[in-house]
Amino acid sequence: MGIDMDKPGSTQLLMGNEAIARGALEAGIGVAAAYPGTPSSEVIGTLAEVARKYGLYVEWSINEKVALEVAAAASLSGVRAITAMKQNGLNVAFDFLANVALTGTNKGLVLMVGDDPGGLSSTNEQDSRHIARILDLPLLEPATFQEAKDMTKWAFQLSEEISNVCILRSVTRISHGRGKVILGDLPSMEKWAYFDTSKSYAGIAGLATRYHKSIHENQGSIADLYGSTPFNSYSGPERPDLLVVTCGSGWLYATEAVKTLSLEQRVGVLKIGTTWPLPTQFLQQHLAGIDRILVVEEVDPFLETNLKEFVVDRMAGHSYRFFGKASGHIPPYGEINVDSAIDALNNIMSIGYRPREEAYEQKCREAAQHVPPRGLQFCAGCPHRATYWAIKDALRMAGGNGVVAGDIGCYTMGIQATGFSQVKTVHAMGSGMGLASGLGKLEQFHFEQPVLAMCGDSTFFHAAIPALLNAVHNEADVVLVIVDNGGTAMTGFQPHPGVDRDAGGEIRPEINIEKLCESLGIAVTVVDPYDIEATRNAFLEVLENRGKARVVMSRRECALIRAGKRLDPIARVRVDGSKCYGDNCGCNRYCTRIFRCPGLIWDRETLTAKIDEAVCSGCGVCVSICPQSAIVGETA
Amino acid sequence: MNECKAWEELRDGVIEENLCTYCGACTGMCPYLVPYKGRIIIRDQCSLDNGRCRAFCPRVGVDLTHVHNSMFGSSYESGDIGVVKDVFISRAADPKILSAGQYGGVVTALGVTALEEGMVDSVVATDSQDKCAPFGAITSRRADLFGCAGSSYVAAATVDAFNRAVREEHRHNLAVVCTPCQSLALANMTSSDLAEKNNMGKLKLVIGLFCTWALSYESFGLFLMEKVDPHDVVKVDIPPPPAETFDVYTRTAGRLSLPLSDVRPFIREACTYCIDMTAEFTDVSVGAAEGIDGWNTVIVRSERGLELIDKAVKRGHIKIETLPEKNLNHLKDASRMKKKRALKNICRKTGSRNDLLYLRNCPTAMQILLEEE
Repeated sequence: MGIDMDKPGSTQLLMGNEAIARGALEAGIGVAAAYPGTPSSEVIGTLAEVARKYGLYVEWSINEKVALEVAAAASLSGVRAITAMKQNGLNVAFDFLANVALTGTNKGLVLMVGDDPGGLSSTNEQDSRHIARILDLPLLEPATFQEAKDMTKWAFQLSEEISNVCILRSVTRISHGRGKVILGDLPSMEKWAYFDTSKSYAGIAGLATRYHKSIHENQGSIADLYGSTPFNSYSGPERPDLLVVTCGSGWLYATEAVKTLSLEQRVGVLKIGTTWPLPTQFLQQHLAGIDRILVVEEVDPFLETNLKEFVVDRMAGHSYRFFGKASGHIPPYGEINVDSAIDALNNIMSIGYRPREEAYEQKCREAAQHVPPRGLQFCAGCPHRATYWAIKDALRMAGGNGVVAGDIGCYTMGIQATGFSQVKTVHAMGSGMGLASGLGKLEQFHFEQPVLAMCGDSTFFHAAIPALLNAVHNEADVVLVIVDNGGTAMTGFQPHPGVDRDAGGEIRPEINIEKLCESLGIAVTVVDPYDIEATRNAFLEVLENRGKARVVMSRRECALIRAGKRLDPIARVRVDGSKCYGDNCGCNRYCTRIFRCPGLIWDRETLTAKIDEAVCSGCGVCVSICPQSAIVGETA
Repeated sequence: MNECKAWEELRDGVIEENLCTYCGACTGMCPYLVPYKGRIIIRDQCSLDNGRCRAFCPRVGVDLTHVHNSMFGSSYESGDIGVVKDVFISRAADPKILSAGQYGGVVTALGVTALEEGMVDSVVATDSQDKCAPFGAITSRRADLFGCAGSSYVAAATVDAFNRAVREEHRHNLAVVCTPCQSLALANMTSSDLAEKNNMGKLKLVIGLFCTWALSYESFGLFLMEKVDPHDVVKVDIPPPPAETFDVYTRTAGRLSLPLSDVRPFIREACTYCIDMTAEFTDVSVGAAEGIDGWNTVIVRSERGLELIDKAVKRGHIKIETLPEKNLNHLKDASRMKKKRALKNICRKTGSRNDLLYLRNCPTAMQILLEEE
């Protein structure tokens, strides 16, 4: 099964992001560019797989802003293009977006943004939809997998009709869920790129207001374009007691809730696929004669607030009672689900529905108490664990209460026990280095703490470079620790400029991070984190050498990349139970209690540590951790 | 719950109170505590309420009566220079040893004797070739012992090396060359309930060094680095009064004589609470023979010590002469002075004559010293 199947009318089981990619393919795109970010990564990842076959140019760009710029360049040159990013990424791209929205585009340009309600894989659960409203850009929200494909295709048309960017907002459950999708035609047209130099797309001082005026006035025509789109629909009785207005995955939850509570005869569901600007006529038609409205949507009360504004402006003479996030009927933060919608309906309609018996609920609560709390963890053999171990030891030995500024990637987990709780700040991509640069300049205020910034190889390229240059130029007293594991590991090993391959697997020149740093006059120390003692000593030395920005390159391929290559483990690790001190003085379960690699387990029967052979990746790091030399690593 | 983990007690009661002598008794046994640059580093948090670290630390609280009884079969008396079976002056016969040693080379000669006679198979001593960063060294060869000759006056975690050595299966009998605080630690360890857990039976010989105080690693190192290249330093010495100097001998620039008053600020606070100058909990203690250049004062305290001296003389490694009465009295006065000064400092720190910190378990002996004030 692939998104490139040329069987129009056939039904495929596709992931939401694959459906979006298929929609782009059916729309005849030429260019796709993105920086990976959960839950958006599979859109461009999927297109990369079929790039050669369909003559696409697909790239993993250095960051989201550049990705949008690369996609916009295609649009300006007459080629349809798509970019995809997570909500944090939209912030990175926002600066360009806010300006290209004014100057406009040429061929279809679609920006897919994958929001992460509940922040399952993110530092925040920001609702990206506000940005569409800020910039007066059309916003589409698919509620089904079929819509994910069809809306994407339509988004290109819309974009061309208004000569501007069209935003497609998905959420984790749409992007990462799978469902049936009926395929459409694949166009087989040759694309020609040409930048018409008789046109100008320059947003310069003095023109802003004119641009702003025209885009603002365009809002009405966008709403007209929405016309009678099937993405906006109503199902339910002619005059419902309650109208549920919903969008995206909220529609799935609301529909299931109405069915579960058998409210089909009393509650109507108004599904909005075009959430900005609001579809005027469609809403006017369906809000007339209604007096109670429940809005079900993910994250912020975006649709809800805009609806309230809409009824004031457009529904004069009607009065409504609104239920939703503002009234507390739908949680205004965290991810919602079917239960959220059931609870809201149950409450508003006073049904007295009980999903489960109280005794069952009680049993669930009791059972939950027996589930051991588990934090996020680095994989077995993860080089980040080893790097943090060395940092922990070095900082404790050096004294002075060193501060570690973290960043975005697997190594973010350095905030938790798996990274020995070393990391104290995590914000945006590259912010660790930026904060460190600032901390490293507080000497005149008696700040003496050593400062470390963490960043991965991909994050380094994405946003850490400007902050590093800032630190070098301003002589900030910081150590940048680059944990280079050979790819963008957290989102699925997408290549970056430090890797010798591009998105499609073509060979590309790799940019050497050390040489780049050295060209700035930075002393770079390269360590292998699996050699814990040497790594710690390197950190100690670097920490002592204060006064300037320094770089430690902790380089070790991600254990998953190694596993993927089916390479033999470095060591066959076992525990000599006769030597293990276990819980006694001298060890106190050092490996399973402090080091905590999931490949090590505590055997409650023998009261010794042992290796979980199914999990152990054979990195051999725990061999050097064991105070008793009870963990033995035999070279494989 | 208000239970205190062993390491928390060491941190709160010893390290942060500046009572830690950096002897190394709490380290070398587990991964949690490590000595580094004059500080005991709590690398990770052990969850045990008790362990060897706290049991062995002489500064958490030491029962001198119990320790003394286990070692000498008699109770501890405040006295002056501790148990004496013999006392004399001595110097190494071998000119090579003599030139490497700080004064008379007797310590090195005794170490060599112990190894040659098979009394021990390993000697734990302090490698002080880097005068700013001495460390505990485990040696089993005569040549390696030479590397440990000479003093540095900077505290070293020598017992850490002992704790590591004692776990090595191929080492069965160990000698330790150590300062008074380290010898008290070793004696405390040997008489502890957890002695067996630490193979203390392997400790066969303790050779003590007289000590007035030690310097703190980091601050003194920084101070010295401003004056000389630490790697250029071959010897440091505090000549007997009234010199009042701290002499630094360098390879390239000869002797640099610093006023002792410049160095005193770097004395570890912990040393100011120490009541032992002559290393009373040893088999034999060795120090400078004041006013007798190139000779050591030797105090023999145990049968084992007598046996070692006997063998060293028979092998011709050391020469012995009588210690003049005047010098012995002077040594006793100086030693007693240190005890009284330490108690005064303790009382000043606690603000009470009833809270004697780590000596609170031996009130009777301490009361005698206090009353002399």
